[in-house]
Amino acid sequence: MRTLKIASRNVFRNWHRTLVTTAAMGFAGFIMILFASLMEGLLQGSERNAVSMDLGDIQIHAPDYREDPDLYKVISDPDRILADLKKAGFHAAKRLYGFGLAASGATSAGVQLRGIDLSNESDVTQINRHVLKGKWLEESDPSGVVIGRKLARTLGVDIGDELIFVGQATDGSMANDIYTVKGILKSVGEEVDRAGLYMQDSAFRELMVLPEGAHEIAVMRPDRSTDLIAATSKVADIAPGCETLNWRELMPVIARILDLADSQMIIMVIITYTAVAMLVLNAMLMTVFERIRELGIMKAVGVKPWQIMMLVYAETFMQVLAASIIAGVSGIALSRYFEHNGIDLSSLAEGASFGGVAVDPIWRAHLTAESVAVPIVFLFIIAFLSVLYPAIKAAVIQPVRAIHHR
Amino acid sequence: MLRVFTATVSLILILVFPVAWSSGEDEDPSVARAKKILREVDDMWRGTSSHSVLTMQVKTVHYTRDMRMEGWSLGKDMTLVRILSPLKDKGLSTLKSGNDIYSYLPKTDRTIKLSSHMMMSSWMGSHFTNDDLVKESRMEEDYDPTISYEGIRDGQEVIEFTLIPKPDAPVVWGKIVATVLADGYMPVKYLYYDEDMLISRTMTFSRFEMLGERIRPKVMRVVPSDKPEEYTELVYEELELDIDLDEDFFSISSLKRM
Repeated sequence: MRTLKIASRNVFRNWHRTLVTTAAMGFAGFIMILFASLMEGLLQGSERNAVSMDLGDIQIHAPDYREDPDLYKVISDPDRILADLKKAGFHAAKRLYGFGLAASGATSAGVQLRGIDLSNESDVTQINRHVLKGKWLEESDPSGVVIGRKLARTLGVDIGDELIFVGQATDGSMANDIYTVKGILKSVGEEVDRAGLYMQDSAFRELMVLPEGAHEIAVMRPDRSTDLIAATSKVADIAPGCETLNWRELMPVIARILDLADSQMIIMVIITYTAVAMLVLNAMLMTVFERIRELGIMKAVGVKPWQIMMLVYAETFMQVLAASIIAGVSGIALSRYFEHNGIDLSSLAEGASFGGVAVDPIWRAHLTAESVAVPIVFLFIIAFLSVLYPAIKAAVIQPVRAIHHR
Repeated sequence: MLRVFTATVSLILILVFPVAWSSGEDEDPSVARAKKILREVDDMWRGTSSHSVLTMQVKTVHYTRDMRMEGWSLGKDMTLVRILSPLKDKGLSTLKSGNDIYSYLPKTDRTIKLSSHMMMSSWMGSHFTNDDLVKESRMEEDYDPTISYEGIRDGQEVIEFTLIPKPDAPVVWGKIVATVLADGYMPVKYLYYDEDMLISRTMTFSRFEMLGERIRPKVMRVVPSDKPEEYTELVYEELELDIDLDEDFFSISSLKRM
């Protein structure tokens, strides 16, 4: 208690220096909290775009479909698998894929045709709510299609325009028909944006002469906090003979970026705090040197070295505590602000993507306990490490020499 | 896709194949001779214009298709093919004009121009690509021919040509080896090699019968090397050469009128 009292007296003795040191630590902590929650927001947005707009948690394919996506490589009993998945509590939807050419007027572009199981797809992904312009597919309108935004730009089409698809059907004939653009999607990912052409599965089956089977079954866990790997093996048991992969295996680049995000965060924290550490070291060294006679007298009257160390640490602790409060309060406040009011990047980075996954043009922060705790805990660690040298210096002072020091 | 397109057109074009080889003045005499013979092979097939009716059978592991089609050509740059049967594809027409390919789709009553994406895809479900249609008439510009063998092979006097792509030619083949009968310069076999110099597909000609007032191979069969159980076979029913056709016949608007 006495230590704390002496420490607080020392802290306030040179209040200018204390203020500067505390403010610097507080500012660094605040920046790191804001940075952490913005990064978290970016990563969560990417994961959401990848998983909830397109992939789903887990996907089932015919064994070598993914290496060589071929119209003929279908899952032969998708309805049985779908029924069993639902019985096991999963959300699941069948999908069909084909390739061909979409043309409008004199322009044309290669497209990836996607046949969507409308009644189930909305349980698995939120693509139906990700429409930029117009509307999502409707059961009642089989000739309506929804396309990716870059494809719409390439073809120069807008809502209500006609689109011709030409491709090769399973019987070798030329699949061709005329469709109406019903909707244009927001950015989902490179592939969908540039080449995605969505139609309902019945229209796909008729066009491509594919009455049976499905190329993909996308599965979503009802509760996304449950163990993904356990869920994957459960799904694999329901679909024997098929390839079952979860989104981390399907998009290893994104999964790795997400995994690395934590260590990246810590590296950033350490770099930023190195500067803070030097500041703290300098300030505490100064307080030790200017009190060298006082410390010598304390030792002469019988204060133990560890008590002197405790004193220096107590002084540091008070300053870091104040800095943490400043950092925490301002960091949380600003992160909360950016959670509700995203930073609009649409003019800067329209259609940006990383690892093939679209980045939302509105960048929102996402505040987690970790994004506050990591910067603050590291602030304490760094400050305590950097004060080690001044503290030892003070502790081992020789009373006689210290008293005569000038 | 557009396999039908490619196949039909290719059939015609490929039969007519080694399109007019021009000879430079300071050329090696054997190169000049190779070009001259190949040009003759080509002239025999194409004439200044042509009209033909043919059937195409495509066999793949997934389907077998029989189609009947009618084709016209003018010079080496214009070709038009229309599907006569089956009913589902009737009226589908393909127009090759220079390096462009247009397709008329009767179901939608629209004509589309094929983009570069589609060039390597199948024409009308066959083993020909759209690129085959376009490139066929550029053989002379894209390849340097040499005579690589002359003599008796399988009891027939043949001449074998090796066609090597020119250094910057935009082609997909590593080389083409063409075997032609020495008597009458009729094509027997064409081997297409990929960039690794492995045989990619084999084209054989057979049934040397009277067709269009002289003896020509009536049947052409293409077998892809990676799927030897598959093939595309073209059989000529009729062929007329040097008929009266003008360029308007090969316009986009006439595609639709047919």
